[in-house]
Amino acid sequence: MSLAAESPLQSSSSSDDFAAFLDAELDADSSNSSPNDETNDDEEIDLKEERIKRHKVEMSETIEVIESSKIADVNKEKSESTKPNLCPHPGFIKGLCLICGQMEEDDGSGVALSYIHKDLKLGSHEMNRLRGADLRNLLREKKLILVLDLDHTLLNSTRLADVTTDEDHLLKQADLLQDDPNRSLFKLGSMHMLTKLRPFVRTFLKEASPMFEMYVYTMAERCYALEMARLLDPSNIYFNSKVISQSDCTQRHQKGLDVVLGAESVVVILDDTELVWQKHKDNLIVMERYHYFASSCHQFGFNVKSLSQCKKDESDTEGALANVLNVLRRVHQMFFDPALDTDLSSRDVREMLKKVRQDVLHGCKIAFSRVFPSTVRAADQHIWRIAEQLGALCTTDVDSSVTHVVSTDTGTAKARWAVQNEKFLVNPRWVEAANYFWCRQKEDDYVV
Amino acid sequence: MFFHISMEKNMQLHPRHFGPHLRDKLVAKLMKDVEGTCSGRHGFVVAITGVDDIGKGLMREGTGFVTFPVRYQCVVFRPFKGEILEAVVTMVNKMGFFAEAGPVQIFVSNHLIPDDMEFQTGDVPNYTTSDRSVRIQKDSEVRLKIIGTRVDATEIFCIGTIKDDFLGVINDPGAAA
Repeated sequence: MSLAAESPLQSSSSSDDFAAFLDAELDADSSNSSPNDETNDDEEIDLKEERIKRHKVEMSETIEVIESSKIADVNKEKSESTKPNLCPHPGFIKGLCLICGQMEEDDGSGVALSYIHKDLKLGSHEMNRLRGADLRNLLREKKLILVLDLDHTLLNSTRLADVTTDEDHLLKQADLLQDDPNRSLFKLGSMHMLTKLRPFVRTFLKEASPMFEMYVYTMAERCYALEMARLLDPSNIYFNSKVISQSDCTQRHQKGLDVVLGAESVVVILDDTELVWQKHKDNLIVMERYHYFASSCHQFGFNVKSLSQCKKDESDTEGALANVLNVLRRVHQMFFDPALDTDLSSRDVREMLKKVRQDVLHGCKIAFSRVFPSTVRAADQHIWRIAEQLGALCTTDVDSSVTHVVSTDTGTAKARWAVQNEKFLVNPRWVEAANYFWCRQKEDDYVV
Repeated sequence: MFFHISMEKNMQLHPRHFGPHLRDKLVAKLMKDVEGTCSGRHGFVVAITGVDDIGKGLMREGTGFVTFPVRYQCVVFRPFKGEILEAVVTMVNKMGFFAEAGPVQIFVSNHLIPDDMEFQTGDVPNYTTSDRSVRIQKDSEVRLKIIGTRVDATEIFCIGTIKDDFLGVINDPGAAA
């Protein structure tokens, strides 16, 4: 059994040197053992022979090769999974194949999942397999997947340098509250940042966790993302190995579900920007932006005083996160509704989201006035599309079936018509509010 | 596997150490510099057991530093493919688990975990059999076989398996009932 000489292994690491050396030295003793192989089919006899030659280093792949070539009754599973030529190389970690340990031949076709381990790369086949396995587990545990954005969705950060004079009290407050486990204001000296968690966020995470497997997906740097995950999740229960940052994105300035090990049909995304999710708009719930700090308001061009300057904050129980939690509960309930006929694995959370959205402005027929110029295609307008997504019917002309006129000016013909015929006259923010709050808002709050 | 080998290193010494305790200072510096490091060829240097020989020192031109060639004996640890090791699990996720055997880190992918063990997510992510008799979680001890190694200049990384006979959990810290 001259294993070393006949070995088909082409491992380039020097790890085999020792083994090969030993084998070469011991080969002289073992050449008379080959006739025994042909009479023995059993693995156990092979093992006995190995035990006799205790000092021989076991090289499992080569043993399988010898076995399969000489013996009819082969332990097929073992040989096929450990034979290097048949190994499918599903993924590589630090250049080593996950199954056979061979060095990777770099063909660049893998997806780098550096948020799980900094040197992990998986092939698309393996990722699909993992997604399928994950889907089965999730459906069994009655969970969906929730991808969360950080900035302006769950928290708001500002650089220490950008803190204005009327926000100075926050710095002192952050220092005072250092030992309070329920605090929302954090000063990060190492990164020179001041961070405010959105009200209700801890409860949100706690309530969402039994229904969803949660991921953090941000366009910020990895160290910032990890630090924020640590603030939101100190015991590392929710986001263990699931913090995705900018460096993990496969496309510049675009987030994608290709690095998420979950099937697209069960993913719900919570983000304040639609722009970065071009490929997955159907999975996205757009959140109202959380502007706590003045610098954040300025960044987006708002000249109003920020929440910190007014010494106010978003409501805890009626804020954006509480609303979204209710929506998520509804979607989850709809998905796992036992009354539905379809098979669990063929249900799609995107359909559920659409249905819930359609309910918001169901029954409303909206005409627009002085919201967009009449020269453009009405159906392309952003606000038109939002209203349609929310279940309203949109029209360019007024008639008796119209229920709402959305206008920026009370003087237009359509506006006057609406007042005359006792239809609701609201400004465009009413539509946006319906989009953010997921329920029809009181028209009186949005008069023109 | 552990080996006891003889190695040589050129140590540079600053003139402030020259004096009656030159040799001791040199040995102390050697220990500080070498213990805990890793070389590709020999593996991790675990401990220096003795100094064989310190050669004649050579002064470097331009600086006052003196280079001594030191021969010493040390215990090194180097994992090999096919070797069977015991390791402590450090992290468990859906791709597999990471374990550490001393200074070497080993990854066992879920392909090489027996099929009857499934990943359970939660507070303490773990792999467990369907009848919950065997469980692998953080701080469990496992016996695994090394499938492949990758030797860098500063560290060694391995891929392991527990799918063979006699491999798997030795001791489960969370095991109660």
